[in-house]
Amino acid sequence: MELDNSPAIVFDHVSVTRNGLNILDHVNAAIPRGSWTVLIGPNGAGKTTLLLALLGEVSYRGRIELGGGKGLRIGYVPQKLTLDRGMPFTVAEFLAMGIQKRPLWLGISRAAREEAAHLLEMVHASHIMKRRVGTLSGGEMQRVLLALALQQKPELLVLDEPSAGVDFEGGRLFCELLEDLRSSQGFTQIMVSHDLGMVAHHATCVICLKRRIVAQGAPHDVLTGPVLQSLFGMHMGLICADSHTHRMPPLAPYDPASALPASDLRPLEHARPDRDEKEHRHV
Amino acid sequence: MFDISWLLSLASHFPLEGMDMRFMQQALLALVLLAPMTAALGVQVVHYRMAFFSDAVGHSAFAGVAVGLLLGMHPHISMPLFGLGVGLVIMFMQRYSALPSDTVIGVVFSAVVAAGLAVVSRDNTIARDLQQFLYGDILTMTEADICWLILLFGAFLLFQAFAFNHLLYAGTSGIIARAHRIRVALYEYCFAALLALVVMFSVWGVGVLLVTAMLIVPAACARNLAQTAGGMFWWAIAVSLSSSVSGLALSVQPWMGTATGATIILVSCAWFVVSIVVSAARNERRL
Repeated sequence: MELDNSPAIVFDHVSVTRNGLNILDHVNAAIPRGSWTVLIGPNGAGKTTLLLALLGEVSYRGRIELGGGKGLRIGYVPQKLTLDRGMPFTVAEFLAMGIQKRPLWLGISRAAREEAAHLLEMVHASHIMKRRVGTLSGGEMQRVLLALALQQKPELLVLDEPSAGVDFEGGRLFCELLEDLRSSQGFTQIMVSHDLGMVAHHATCVICLKRRIVAQGAPHDVLTGPVLQSLFGMHMGLICADSHTHRMPPLAPYDPASALPASDLRPLEHARPDRDEKEHRHV
Repeated sequence: MFDISWLLSLASHFPLEGMDMRFMQQALLALVLLAPMTAALGVQVVHYRMAFFSDAVGHSAFAGVAVGLLLGMHPHISMPLFGLGVGLVIMFMQRYSALPSDTVIGVVFSAVVAAGLAVVSRDNTIARDLQQFLYGDILTMTEADICWLILLFGAFLLFQAFAFNHLLYAGTSGIIARAHRIRVALYEYCFAALLALVVMFSVWGVGVLLVTAMLIVPAACARNLAQTAGGMFWWAIAVSLSSSVSGLALSVQPWMGTATGATIILVSCAWFVVSIVVSAARNERRL
């Protein structure tokens, strides 16, 4: 069988304008097939908007190509779900609503119950099958949403800040779970995150976004001091990703005199996707 | 339209005083058809947070009747058609306008009420007809109305059988549902159309002022009593059916002599109080 090495997603000059304001400005990026791609950037950089454009939820100019034009089955995990907490709606029903054709008011079929149980097992949450969705904690809800997305047998898993509202340990366990699932299921994964530690540890491709692409490539190429400074507008040379491992450099006392004013920042090599896309793209 | 005499004959066996009279048989049949529809759609209205939508459609009854009378159409034809149009327009505007949903509904709500009042203010004879829709009167349901209700009930059953799960999906999160290839727009428009028609038929029964209660109160009781989404569907129907039949029975008692629609709603509100007590007791047991 011939291996398909084409990118899973290609963003070609994607722009989004809202009320005369450029939210995204000619975004060009390619997401490698099978990668764990993370979008990083400051608040208002357009990360969620790019995901929503990918899902077809916002109108955009330019082109987004999925699976080389063939389209991809998508599983989507939102940041959070606003639900009526008192609503009698069990986790089993929540998952079965996407599995079975029989209306839920006629009960859950045995096949749907078994599949729901299997999905919960995949996300290590079998114990919450009978619980009400409204009573779940943030971490449990995240796993149920992931199970719902996995039910689609996705070729592309899209996650919007899954670590938001979850404690450090919960976030770490969730990322490890995603890592295992991606290896076993072979889907491409794109997510928004603010957790640079997680990005350095798990991502295989990082896209730095600030309305435009600032840099993209493997974490050790992209998560550099100058890129992060350009992205977040402050000194953030804390992460030194070397061959995909964490190495925290010793913290030097911050010297304001040595910090460059923003106007003195030179354009970064990474900030020129048109020129460097091939060089930094991690395939 | 089609023969429903066997159904009326069946209704005449219901153990209630006055069931030998045709209008009582028709009222009972109409309620037995309407109650499950309002209850089940009410569950979805609560899930979708569409109470204001159903209120706006209900209030468009005035304009529907007024426009019908002006055009020489029977109000029982013009009203559902007008309500259907209003429901679909609200849904369209909600989807394509940048305004918040309740603002869109508020604008349409005001427009249809104002249109109704404007037409009424030109002709006082119409005002007398409109009074009936303000308070409703299930006892005036005709055989033709019941035939329409049977057709609507068929459409309702089909919709609940094929769309219940997908509508639940869409109500939980439109974005997730669309990403997971659910045709959210199709289900939303069908739901809005069905809801608008059921609301309009309910207006004949309980009147514009109480139509939202027909949808919301049984669903609210069911939310307190049920443990699952499927269970909520059945509890809502049980509450609505029992309230409707007992409300009809009570309202025709000489010592009661109240409007049927209002009595039905009062019975379902009593159900709601019971459901709160049951829910509180259950929560205490869990603690």
